[in-house]
Amino acid sequence: MRRIGLALALLALAGCGGSSSDSQRTPLTVVVNAPFSRTPYLGRTIENGVRLAERELNANGIRLGDKTYDLRVQTMDTALSPARAVANMRRAVGRRAVAVVDEGTGVDASWRTAAAAGIPVGIVFQGGSGLVDPASRPNVFRIAPTDHGLAFRLAEYLVPKGLKVGLLHDDSDYGTAGGRALATAFSRNRSAVAIDETLPADALDLAPQVLRARRDGATALVVWGRPATIAAAITAARSAGWDVPFYTPPTGNDPFVRQQLADHPSWVNGLTFAGGRLTAEVGSGPFQTFEQKYESAFGVDRVGVKTSAGASVIVPPETAMYAYDFVNLVAAALLKADSTDPRKITSALNEVSVEGANGDQRGFNRLNHEGVIDDDIYFARFHDMTYAPVKDDPLSGTLPTLPQTR
Amino acid sequence: MRRAALVAVVALTSGGVAFAAPPGSFVTLPSPVAPLSGSPPLSGGATATSEIVRHRVDAHTRVAVALDAHGTPFRVVATQRLDVRVKGDYFFTIGAPLRAVEAAPGSDSTPGQRATAITWAGFNPGRRTLTARATLDPALAAMSLPLRVEVAPGRVTLVNATGVSATSYTAGVVAPPLRAYFAELKRDVDRDVVPSSGGARVTTRTSPTRVRVVTPLHVSGVVGRRRVDALLEDRLVLRASGPLRLTVTPARPARLLDAPVAGLSGRALLDRVSRTVLTLARTRQYRSFLGNPDPTGRSATTYVYRTAARPAPPPVVAAPVSTRSWGSTLAVAGGLLLALVAAAFVWSRS
Repeated sequence: MRRIGLALALLALAGCGGSSSDSQRTPLTVVVNAPFSRTPYLGRTIENGVRLAERELNANGIRLGDKTYDLRVQTMDTALSPARAVANMRRAVGRRAVAVVDEGTGVDASWRTAAAAGIPVGIVFQGGSGLVDPASRPNVFRIAPTDHGLAFRLAEYLVPKGLKVGLLHDDSDYGTAGGRALATAFSRNRSAVAIDETLPADALDLAPQVLRARRDGATALVVWGRPATIAAAITAARSAGWDVPFYTPPTGNDPFVRQQLADHPSWVNGLTFAGGRLTAEVGSGPFQTFEQKYESAFGVDRVGVKTSAGASVIVPPETAMYAYDFVNLVAAALLKADSTDPRKITSALNEVSVEGANGDQRGFNRLNHEGVIDDDIYFARFHDMTYAPVKDDPLSGTLPTLPQTR
Repeated sequence: MRRAALVAVVALTSGGVAFAAPPGSFVTLPSPVAPLSGSPPLSGGATATSEIVRHRVDAHTRVAVALDAHGTPFRVVATQRLDVRVKGDYFFTIGAPLRAVEAAPGSDSTPGQRATAITWAGFNPGRRTLTARATLDPALAAMSLPLRVEVAPGRVTLVNATGVSATSYTAGVVAPPLRAYFAELKRDVDRDVVPSSGGARVTTRTSPTRVRVVTPLHVSGVVGRRRVDALLEDRLVLRASGPLRLTVTPARPARLLDAPVAGLSGRALLDRVSRTVLTLARTRQYRSFLGNPDPTGRSATTYVYRTAARPAPPPVVAAPVSTRSWGSTLAVAGGLLLALVAAAFVWSRS
């Protein structure tokens, strides 16, 4: 009897004491659901953004009541397959994740699995209009430019220029969603549209489609698709001697486009893409601070091309910034909810804001789960393998150019 | 130490007004902008998360108050229009006990909804109109309404509900500079710019006083068949009945501002100026029922009270309940147990 009593006392003692040291912290799982095998750059940059936030938050831990929590990141590969994305989400639920940072593939199906467990899902790349809806998908949030915003800003920018626009989109999920957004955005200005055409996403040669756009009188091309599609469209036009200006969504800024066109650097000149602004009114300081932290943790993301002066071109960590901001919002929601219950975290995400990595306020609310508002979409134009914000747009004209060489 | 803490608390609650200052001291007057109570503006007012741009914002709010037959507010809807100038990003939080919010016609953007705030975020290319229609929690919003309506058979009483007790002080002062400040204060009010705070050199020791501060309300409209157009500082009893529709606006405190100050003694002048700035501060509160993210921007609020039918409460669905009580359940269980024991006894004897 005395022995049992002693054992019980020891057990009770083991349960006492502080919980602030790293080894005694309780882990909270954050899952990164991204296409690591199919688009490694994208997957890795999302993961890195999450891991950077994890490191910073874990420095002091997240204190709720008398317990301190650490974030633990687990990655899962979607391989751009919706079925795998759904299977991953089931695994995330099984591992009691408090949040999922998602590239966006398969969210149309996987959100239900997460919703059943109350887990918030933060999309940080895909901008499809139907993916996020606070009313019907209350657990889905997004920090990335929306297709709707990109398309409307493109229309707003291009229509006053008097251009006859060829709207080309590929038949990938990304391109199809973008094609729908463009059709809506240009629906009030159909006279500005020369042709609306779908491109095969896997085609190496888009010369017939580009030629058709030229024949139909296009004086500008908006190409919405994967990086390979954009590179192929530019190649088709330029190799035919057609100096038409190209406009794209953020995929125009993907390193793959410049890598594909590295043999003809002049073909990249003039390529204009729409994207979420990287800097705030306070200037480029906050983003560059984030970029420095990112580079010291994970190294520089090089494009693999050089400027005419021989400087190596790097990619600013834009998507990583969105992932980083989402994890910080989850941490703020944990504190607001004072709970690790995913349902309470999801609810609290509607009530918190944080200063984003670029110095802007980042947050959601009950009516809007978009962390990048349409007003924050800007335009940048390539020259000599690097880009600078355009000057003929009210927002873009106020933004500084970020250093992109090392 | 305790005395120091007490002084600090008094200074805080009185807006920094100095007490028991010796003769010859220069003391600050009550602030014409510091709120005299926690609300209005509702839910802590408005904030602008600043980067380097400071937007100029004028706020116009219309508060629609639906009253039941007893004069009790049961629905409060505030429509606020923010006229935002200066190019650059904005992130505004407008405190409000929200039930729902939506963009109102003419808005250049869509508001966000949080539990206790309307949020606005975006880029202003130079000028933006942000208009939100917010349905407020009537119980919380009603506490900050300027007018209370009391309905009795054949009689409707309109009560100015803006009154509050504020701390001030009295003393003999050097009159001419204070008179000049008062004239400047009046000019600021007439130009609708935010008045600056003032001070006075005292000639006697100051002593604290409590001042009852009321915002005069301009009330116009109809109660039943009776037309109303009055400046309400206390209460107004109307022999009338029937539905009412009244428009209420916080008025300029003309009685305090316009009465001559030429012959007043220093002490009387100080009392007048203190009372005026406190009234201006109170009026400013009711002109900002929902906060303005620009502290120096213009704010105006119109309150529209209207009698309406309370929405019928949703029908209560009777939940199916068992007719058996706990007592009868226990009795049945006990009976069964006894029967079981008896059966076991009989079986053991057999």
